[in-house]
Amino acid sequence: MSWRVPLTEIELAESDVEATMGVLESGWLTMGPRTQQLERAFAQSVGAEHAVAVSSCTAALHLACLAAGVGQGDEVIVPAMTFVATAHGPRRCGAEVVLGESVSVTDPNLDPADVVERITPHTKAVIAVHLCGYPADVDGLRSVCADRDLFLIEDCAQAAGGRMADGRALGSVGDLGCFSFSSKTLLGVGEGGIVVTDDADLAARVGSLRSHAMTSVTWDRHRGHAETYDVTDLGFNYRIDEVRAALAHARLTRLEPELARRRDVVRAYRQRLAALEGLELPYDDGAVDRSGHFAFPVLLGDRSVRDRVRAYMHDRGIQTSFYPSLTQFTAYAPSDVAGTRPRAEEFADRHCVLPLFPLTETRVEAVVAELSDALG
Amino acid sequence: MGPRTELFEREFADHLGVEHVLALSSGTAALHLACIAAGVGEGDEVIVPSQTFVATVNAVLYTGATPVFADIVGPHDLNIDPDAVEAAIGDRTKAVIPVHYAGYPVAIQRLAELCATRGLSLIEDAAHAPSATAGGRKLGSFGLAGCFSFFSNKVLCCGEGGALSTDSGEVAERVRRLRSQGMTATTMDRHRGKAMEYDVGEPGFNYRIDDPRSALLSSRLKRLDAEIERRRELVLRYRELLDGQPGVILPWGKSDVAGSSCYMMAVLIEDGRRDEVRRTLQARHGVQTTIYPAVHELETYRRRLPGVSLPYSEQVAASMFSIPLFPHMSEQTQDEVVAALTDSIGG
Repeated sequence: MSWRVPLTEIELAESDVEATMGVLESGWLTMGPRTQQLERAFAQSVGAEHAVAVSSCTAALHLACLAAGVGQGDEVIVPAMTFVATAHGPRRCGAEVVLGESVSVTDPNLDPADVVERITPHTKAVIAVHLCGYPADVDGLRSVCADRDLFLIEDCAQAAGGRMADGRALGSVGDLGCFSFSSKTLLGVGEGGIVVTDDADLAARVGSLRSHAMTSVTWDRHRGHAETYDVTDLGFNYRIDEVRAALAHARLTRLEPELARRRDVVRAYRQRLAALEGLELPYDDGAVDRSGHFAFPVLLGDRSVRDRVRAYMHDRGIQTSFYPSLTQFTAYAPSDVAGTRPRAEEFADRHCVLPLFPLTETRVEAVVAELSDALG
Repeated sequence: MGPRTELFEREFADHLGVEHVLALSSGTAALHLACIAAGVGEGDEVIVPSQTFVATVNAVLYTGATPVFADIVGPHDLNIDPDAVEAAIGDRTKAVIPVHYAGYPVAIQRLAELCATRGLSLIEDAAHAPSATAGGRKLGSFGLAGCFSFFSNKVLCCGEGGALSTDSGEVAERVRRLRSQGMTATTMDRHRGKAMEYDVGEPGFNYRIDDPRSALLSSRLKRLDAEIERRRELVLRYRELLDGQPGVILPWGKSDVAGSSCYMMAVLIEDGRRDEVRRTLQARHGVQTTIYPAVHELETYRRRLPGVSLPYSEQVAASMFSIPLFPHMSEQTQDEVVAALTDSIGG
């Protein structure tokens, strides 16, 4: 269907198209100079030592878990309130996924105090998610993890460009940070992702496993050619290709201004929605200043109100969305899990994500007007 | 994934003569999902060749099952030997993954019959072989699933990409869900207003391709048959030029070329001189060659799957390289490669 206001719109600049065409014209399509260029630029942009570009953020999370040594018999704590890919990473390593609770209904990110309660001798890692782009308390989580020798992995799929209060980039606080270049993100190239870390060993392991643990990749780079290769571990094909790397690089150079435009839209929304009866705004102005602004959630009365409002908006051509909590999925919900993560579940039930991209003021007002009508 | 992916999937399915094609992130992803769709899991065994790229074997390992290697026919046919496959079948065997190596069809009818009789799933690794045929039928259409690679050096390529072909609606549905996290509805469904919510039953992966790559594949698919035809001409010409060259074995025969996608031109160098000839080719003539280790001889597989002996695979791995072959190769370049090879073998 054709939406009056879609959830998001991708804007590609002429420079993006030029970068893409340049690769196609060069005829070199995989894992070459553009991937290296992207990795260098991305590492620099988040202030990390290393970046390894991969096929998706799901792949990034899987490799981050493997690099952290997550395996069968281990437990990994992930927020109950996240996209399923966060949990698929540790699950694919054979580990058990332990669902953590949100800080509150208005801050659905992982609560460090709750994480402490869920740590067992089997716990190997914690995955913090910056949901919708809003910074999780990674400093709090980092001290929890450091005290117990656990890995902290940041899922920054929705948080490229997001910052901590002191200016550090999201993704640079934990041992490993995982980003997405999936089509709807600010750095969307179609499908893609990247892992950042300051640790050379972790980076080497991620780099090796992304391409079937073949030794000649490194060998090639250092000597200009390889006589043959060996395979030292069970790896994967999680490579990105040059076209996507070039596009991601082109978009990375525009990330700051794009983020600023989204931030303006979010502020415009919040200003107009603050006084609306029956609606609550999650997060605070400080979080808005620092968010990666992937999505703009608002809280409604309860699940039935939310579903009714969404249907109303849908009928008026305005696309909305929401994220189920993992407790709602058959794959992650044993019969006794419902109701055990009340803050995460309440956020999942009550929130509705409104259209977010560089919207005109008129369209922001149209969304707000329909939302007021739906609630009134 | 949107309209261009759907279009490419339709076009490639028509090209292969199968009901369904699912475009994926890589050939490795296709093999992994094919194994899952075949019900392969812990405790099962899957018969694979060692004369292949590691992805064939890794796909089995991802599921927790054990790969069991079967040897190839010999230096004149680098494909898995159906007799060796039959001998390797045991109580725990669940599936067989033959590889159409270098684009040349394995004895696929015989393997299909064998698998049907023994109740095994047949998964074709057709990474090298889009558009190749056996008995007039496209490879990738014989088994439960066919797995294709669109990696940048392949006959049909887009950078990174792959596809799974199948006639089974059930396999297609499962692969469709698993390639996108196991979600019951996609972003596109939601964009089109067809779905408001989704569930996740079986945890999946992100094995999606994207629309730019699908568009490139659609465009290249139109030229595929012409490019393969040109590859066949070049291979026949290579065979003629190298005919009678002492110390060289050219696997397969002239009559096999018409059914092959001619992904690569494999050359076996006799008398243990492969590495020496290869070095001369590069140093003296600037001719690039590629060698292909046997999977069971690589470090991690020696550790995981010890005690494997496959005489023909080992012999071929130690004596083979591929020489340059691409559709826009000129006859002059080809002549230069042949002269360089002759010179390098001569000393």
